[in-house]
Amino acid sequence: MDQRFEGTPRAEVRREGQRLIRGEVANDWGSQLVWSIRRNGEVVATVPARAEEVIEFPDATPGSYEAVLRLFHYEGYEKDKDGKYTKSKFVDVSNPVVWTV
Amino acid sequence: MLHLGHERVPVCGDVTRRSFLQAGAATMTGAAALSLPAVLSLEAAGAVEASKQEIRNCITIFLVGSPGQVDTWDMKPDAPAEIRGKFKPIATNVNGIQICEHFPLMARMMDKVALIRSLHHNTGATHENGQRWMMTGHDFNADSMKPHSGSVLSRVFGNRGMLPASVVLPEKIGNTGAGPLHGQSAAYLGSSHEPFFLQSDPSRADFKVSDLTPPAGQTEFRINARKELLKQIDNVQRKVETNSELGRDTAYARAFNLLTSPEAKTAFDLTKEDDRTRNRYGRNTLGQSCLMARRLIERGSRYVTVNHFETVFNISCWDMHADGGSLNNTYADYEQLLCPQFDWAFTALIEDLEQRGLLKETVVCVLSEFGRTPGLNPRGGRDHHPGVWTNFMVGGPIRGGQVIGSSDKTGARPQNQPILPPQILASIYHAMGIDLETTMMPGPGSRPIRLVEAEPISQLFS
Repeated sequence: MDQRFEGTPRAEVRREGQRLIRGEVANDWGSQLVWSIRRNGEVVATVPARAEEVIEFPDATPGSYEAVLRLFHYEGYEKDKDGKYTKSKFVDVSNPVVWTV
Repeated sequence: MLHLGHERVPVCGDVTRRSFLQAGAATMTGAAALSLPAVLSLEAAGAVEASKQEIRNCITIFLVGSPGQVDTWDMKPDAPAEIRGKFKPIATNVNGIQICEHFPLMARMMDKVALIRSLHHNTGATHENGQRWMMTGHDFNADSMKPHSGSVLSRVFGNRGMLPASVVLPEKIGNTGAGPLHGQSAAYLGSSHEPFFLQSDPSRADFKVSDLTPPAGQTEFRINARKELLKQIDNVQRKVETNSELGRDTAYARAFNLLTSPEAKTAFDLTKEDDRTRNRYGRNTLGQSCLMARRLIERGSRYVTVNHFETVFNISCWDMHADGGSLNNTYADYEQLLCPQFDWAFTALIEDLEQRGLLKETVVCVLSEFGRTPGLNPRGGRDHHPGVWTNFMVGGPIRGGQVIGSSDKTGARPQNQPILPPQILASIYHAMGIDLETTMMPGPGSRPIRLVEAEPISQLFS
């Protein structure tokens, strides 16, 4: 049988100073969990989130920032000729945290 | 003095052989795909007394497809790029031991883990060869099949309570490319020691154990009515039929008991766990199977095998050929799915067992068929390589925080202390409390044989 991820994972995140803090992930699929951090809409950092519930993000480059927790959603092993998944993908599982530098 | 299971049998003279044959004959039935009643019928036929000595349990997580040693637990950061691959090593909580960056939680409990980095076998590089070696301690053909280690444990220790001694979750291994002999049957030990195969995904919302779920429309009253009818028929049969039929009789009774037993139903019912625990294991097939394994061990099963995948085709699994077709697993699968999923589930299991006081009496083994080629293939994958690989053990009397054996500088061959699969099986049996010198089992032709022709790896226990 192939795996089928069911349910909807959900976590709460917040920012305190330079720290990004996440809570436990409800309905956790157990796949790769990352912080995705954007500045002015562009991804500037993807940081592993599984092992730590708190990360430091001290980047002081001016701009509008958004951080969100993302979890890999497996829907099949298929990939295109460049090795990118065609069905499986990361999905947002938290509220976004926004701030401006 | 020998033990057949836990029956002491003198080793010399006619009495020995007669006793052996009597004990062994009851289990000399053919192995077959079995329903739960059939499993139970033959369990009863071959049951041995529960031991009074210290018996430990075993949970084996079998990584079907096999992770590459260089990408996981035996990294070679100083090797050329085409060997060392994409991932980086990280430190663990044991000085000098590094593992892959995608096992950050396991790295924090390396003091509990004994890595064996010089495991190898010298037969063909098929999945099935590796499965037979690692599940039975033997290589064999169809005419000389050997029993799964869970079946051996079932034969040696017998049952505790209502649950099968040996359970395979979530499914038995299916098509891995080169034939049907995966080493997951009881073979000549007989169907009474066949593992109970769940054959269902415990992570699914609609999960039910088919053997434990009454057919639609059948209430417990109807089941009990059928049980009573069967009992009456069996009473007639009992007067005229043989002891083996009595075993069948008992088995049907036990199957009915399982159908209606709160204990058995509870063991398989993951909704009894709180959401936080289920999340901690991971809401996926591996995670929920590991959680079920803990529940089964806690409630009486001796040996639970968790197959991380039942095939290597058309799914994301450890068989990282990157072939662009049905075996198109790549670093992406390792990084985004397989390593995180394993890290999350494995560490949850160890933590949970420890918190419940079960880790000291449960050996947890992570096994696979072989390693993968040290050099990346032209597509960026790695192919089969039985020349060397890494497996590991935790719990029971295993001394963690150590590395046994080593591979050469490219992860191609053992460099120190080469270890063969039978030594792993011998170590598992020893760790579970079996004296390999005095505990024998019936072999083909009813002659007593050792459980496995190897000695335990002494370093694991020192």
